[in-house]
Amino acid sequence: MKRIFINEEFCIGCRLCEIYCQVKHSKSKKILKAFKEEQDDIMSRVLVEEIGHNSFAIQCRHCADAPCVEACISGAMVKNPKTGVVVCDEEKCVGCWSCIMVCPYGVINRNLSTKKVASKCDLCIDEEIPVCVKNCPNEALKFEDKESGREKKR
Amino acid sequence: MTRDKTDYLIIGNSAAGLSAAESIRTIDKKSRITVLCEESHFNYSKPLISYYLGGKIDIDKTYFKDKDFYSSNDIELKLESKVEYVDSKKMYAKDSSKKEISFYKLLISSGGRPIIPDIKVIDKNIKEDVLTTRFDTIENAFNLTTLDDAISLKKYVEKNHIDEAIILGGGLIGLKTAEAFLELKVKISIIELADRILSTSFDTTASEIISEKINQAQGKIFTGTTIDSIYTEDGKITGLKLSNSDEIPCKLLVVAIGVNPETDMIKDSGIKMDRGILVDEHMKTSMDNIYAAGDVVKTRDMLSGLQKNIAIWPLAVRQGRIAGINMAGGKESYSGGFFMNSVEILGVPVVSIGLSSIDESTDKELKIYRQHKPESSIYRKIIVKDNHVIGAILVGSIERAGIYAGLINNKVDISGIKDNIAREDFGIIQLPADYKKHLVIGDGIEV
Repeated sequence: MKRIFINEEFCIGCRLCEIYCQVKHSKSKKILKAFKEEQDDIMSRVLVEEIGHNSFAIQCRHCADAPCVEACISGAMVKNPKTGVVVCDEEKCVGCWSCIMVCPYGVINRNLSTKKVASKCDLCIDEEIPVCVKNCPNEALKFEDKESGREKKR
Repeated sequence: MTRDKTDYLIIGNSAAGLSAAESIRTIDKKSRITVLCEESHFNYSKPLISYYLGGKIDIDKTYFKDKDFYSSNDIELKLESKVEYVDSKKMYAKDSSKKEISFYKLLISSGGRPIIPDIKVIDKNIKEDVLTTRFDTIENAFNLTTLDDAISLKKYVEKNHIDEAIILGGGLIGLKTAEAFLELKVKISIIELADRILSTSFDTTASEIISEKINQAQGKIFTGTTIDSIYTEDGKITGLKLSNSDEIPCKLLVVAIGVNPETDMIKDSGIKMDRGILVDEHMKTSMDNIYAAGDVVKTRDMLSGLQKNIAIWPLAVRQGRIAGINMAGGKESYSGGFFMNSVEILGVPVVSIGLSSIDESTDKELKIYRQHKPESSIYRKIIVKDNHVIGAILVGSIERAGIYAGLINNKVDISGIKDNIAREDFGIIQLPADYKKHLVIGDGIEV
């Protein structure tokens, strides 16, 4: 199962990952249109944290025992048993923010623009490589099938 | 009468029960799993009933497991089966229609039952009584703990054009009820015995922010008082007398002062209880083959180390899962949990985590970090003891709240980062190096 891995030392804080994530999750999927016309409606699901020269990009870790799935009161947040990808069904989400309360990475956001729903990384399931990884100029984000400890635990 | 037989019997069709059923099925593909539910709905999420009452969601959005959940997991669901008796020696349960079912393993996840206080009921024609016995016969007195409660409450409000309601109890359920009524354009009054609303999880400042919002929405809050007596006429409440002697008219009363673990069915079973079923780290009760999970149990509170009843959804799901694994022969331990809640009241989101209502006056050794912006209803407070976060309350700005829950769960020493901890832009990058590394490149979290 491929996951996004973070290489903190290679991140230069360019935030291209955020930009491409926003475009990917916009209606038009076009960078200019997204940023000029859909500005209030597009949220990045990857977050660059930065202090001085230190930075890294972080998005949902798609945890094995995902606390957000456990906390979801509407059944919107589910972990696909086959792919392991944690996704929020925006039709079912009621915006109670229980997932935000429990995510230890702080990578779920309130999307208040169109409808009040939880917004998070969906691992760009319809893409071969998530756009944040694909557009990182420095391999600070990598999409790999490295067996991580949390998957082995299962 | 012939006794039906199952392998795994689960009492309760909510968060803990269904999470257990699901986890049993991941291990044991063949055995029979039977879920008994005293209600008539195939499943619904209790925290969503106030959303339904307020008209935010339709009734068919109140379920949390898909319709095919039972068939795809081969789980048998029996509705309207209220268990009245459990024989822990002969291993069978009996429901209110006298049907018996024997089991090999039992999970009690029967949740809670609303508390009805012994308030005096004074009627013109009937002799004086108490609310506890009269509650079901009074047509405008309600609870809001089941979907049926919400349905009948909504019907009553619409049919009788109710424009004012009184809520007894200013806790989370009371406030969620209040919010739903305000959505329905019903004016509300909240009666709360403590000195402020939400006193168990909110401190004074947080409580004041929410009180002010309620007042702006024409809601009234009576604190430090309760109902002394209820006046009824023809099976309806007409007015209330408060303990401070105020008399107020009443068109509709919702009693929301809390719930008690529902343990009636095991009162003679010998299963150890102490205001909740006591369980070990495998969620097993004092009897072999009998487990319990969810709002009905008393189990380890991570912050105090004591056995406590912490009736919240995420812990019910986790406990159910762990109970299920152990029931099916696997092994997993529950390391404990702590209280947390997320609620949005009149557009203000609030997250409270751990020991969130306390401050310096409670314990001199506490260090409190605050950020308060009254003009935008933003208030963030982090409670620290011995260099460890033990509680947090975030009002208005709840972004990344789970980072604080993670700091409590992982018992992270935060000595070096305290100055930034309550800031709105607080993030993983400020966390102590080891813990940050664990989150950013590590194996993920071990909850």
